[in-house]
Amino acid sequence: MSLGRRSFLRATAASVAFPYLIPASAMGNAGATAPSNRIVMAGIGLGNMGSGDLSSFLGRDDVQYVAVCDVKRDVRNARMNQVNQKYNSTDCKAYNDFREVLVRGDIDAVHCATPDHWHAIVVIEACRNGKDIYCQKPETKTLREGKLMIDAARRYSRIVSGGSQRVLEDYRGAVDACWSGSKGQVKSINVNVGPFPTDCNKAGETVPDGFDWDMWLGPAPWAPYHPHRCSGSYNIDGTSWRSFKDYSGGGMTDWGAHHFGGATFALDVRELEPEEVIFHNENGRKYATCRFPNGKLLHHNCPGRGNIAVEGTNEQGPSKPVPSYAGTGGIYGDFIDCVKTRKKPFRDIEFAVHTANVCHLFLAAYELERSLKWDTAKQQFVNDDEANRLVDVARREPWVI
Amino acid sequence: MTSEQTVRMTLAAGATTLAAAHAMAQTDSAAVDKAFETLKTFDWGEDRKLLDPIDQTIIATQGNAAARAALEKRLVDALAGGLSRSAQDYVCRKLRIVGTAQSVNALAALLPAENTSHIARYALERIPNEKALDVMRDALPRVSGKLKAGMLGSLGKRRDAKSIDTISKCLGDSDIQVARAAAESLGLIGTSAAAKELTQFAKKAPANMNLPVADACLICAEQLVTDGQKAQAMALYKELQGNDQPSQVKIAAMKGMLAATTRK
Repeated sequence: MSLGRRSFLRATAASVAFPYLIPASAMGNAGATAPSNRIVMAGIGLGNMGSGDLSSFLGRDDVQYVAVCDVKRDVRNARMNQVNQKYNSTDCKAYNDFREVLVRGDIDAVHCATPDHWHAIVVIEACRNGKDIYCQKPETKTLREGKLMIDAARRYSRIVSGGSQRVLEDYRGAVDACWSGSKGQVKSINVNVGPFPTDCNKAGETVPDGFDWDMWLGPAPWAPYHPHRCSGSYNIDGTSWRSFKDYSGGGMTDWGAHHFGGATFALDVRELEPEEVIFHNENGRKYATCRFPNGKLLHHNCPGRGNIAVEGTNEQGPSKPVPSYAGTGGIYGDFIDCVKTRKKPFRDIEFAVHTANVCHLFLAAYELERSLKWDTAKQQFVNDDEANRLVDVARREPWVI
Repeated sequence: MTSEQTVRMTLAAGATTLAAAHAMAQTDSAAVDKAFETLKTFDWGEDRKLLDPIDQTIIATQGNAAARAALEKRLVDALAGGLSRSAQDYVCRKLRIVGTAQSVNALAALLPAENTSHIARYALERIPNEKALDVMRDALPRVSGKLKAGMLGSLGKRRDAKSIDTISKCLGDSDIQVARAAAESLGLIGTSAAAKELTQFAKKAPANMNLPVADACLICAEQLVTDGQKAQAMALYKELQGNDQPSQVKIAAMKGMLAATTRK
């Protein structure tokens, strides 16, 4: 039986049952990658971050983009033209609705850089349709979404990578110190990050021509259009969707995905979730601490401690090799390499979700202003009906996960 | 504002003993009263901070059932009194946290309307009380299209076994959004009865429902395995081995069977 490359990628959904690897050399020539052997990709959500992701993937000769999707007509047309100019063709098509992209049988993988409230729906739908997916951080909007995304990835044996390149690249001082043993037994790390997300009650304005506002809102509660509500600006000051609760966890998740990701990497607790978040209120100064099952602590905004400040016993301990990306080209190359080999990426969705859950657990404790116990297996707060209301939100119709 | 003060104000400050504390409670009570008064005319574009005293009361009344009930009643009364969409949105968000059976009827009244159905579910879906499920189940026949899809999703997420018959009738809905939501909901409910409905429908499902139904069957089977019903799960997985299934579904079913077999 002959097995084409695309058939192979789909069939290797069975990699758990039938583990075998295919070397990169088997996917193309030693030099340039034959077009028929490129990973065929699509991009969903192509604003600021999505545009950057697209350019990074597009720069690889082992990738071929055939579709772009965005709810803003000007954005998707500009990205479509960018892709077609790159390939000197008209093969890349533009879409408003991501579902039309994901049912295409010729696409192997997608990258998703929508606002956060869309991530889970897009990732799960991609897995369901047999696509691998690179999803920008923060990967989840709620605690419940994380397990659903992991389950979908594992169910369909898809490669699902989270999107924080900073986890490996920005905190190497702390990571190397912890993994080399020079900090001794690492007890805790502090992260300073914010701000918290806020409610948005901005007055409505006229929806710009070519902008599918209802689709942009998607599963979030209906609200009138306002440019600050949906701006993809990186500011978290009330002038971008990153500021608002319905679409983001504010700086707590937007930067938290990086900082907490780096801290949990340094602590070597990427495979764990906290079992408790402890809320502190010292004379009005509020901060919190996540405690992991192995006793390691992750502080947030602990007074007097710097960002990514490590506390250890400081005697020389055993060292261990620091995990890194596969392939070449940073986190993007890691994803593409894993699509080919079916290995787990550095930022496998499970690690990414664990980081996101740290963010959400902190947010829940701050919202309720009290300590909470988290049951990882049940994905619920322990004997706490009120806190469990925060585990998820009802999605606006017709969106269901 | 301390918890004690806020509890006092919520209970109308009737039991305070110290004059100073009483005065403070009255001040805070006035702030909450003012916020509820603001709520009556609150609309998009207004400063959300004007309602902060209500948010603070939610925190302050944790663990005090009487004070919470009093606060909840004020929110429900406000909702029933007629509010702008923005103010309805605000109240439903608060009832997501403090709502009990006391809120359910007021929220149920919002379920059939296109502008308010979702925000009513925003509260109802998270209220851990059977009445919240009852009103969503009862409302299903009175809505169609997107609203029905949303309600199906909420009932599925709550794993409402009492809804299985009603949800199953929606599998054949001509609106693909509804049919798909029905399949997803049965998958989430994940009981042997839900599995039976999915299996029966799979035999006659139109082409555009094949993947949603297969996906729901896989999710349902995983839940059955978790609940110790391996035989039912295996039967469901075997249904997904046909050549009419996409490769990712067949492989997922094969993996599922292996996992079910090896699970203790």
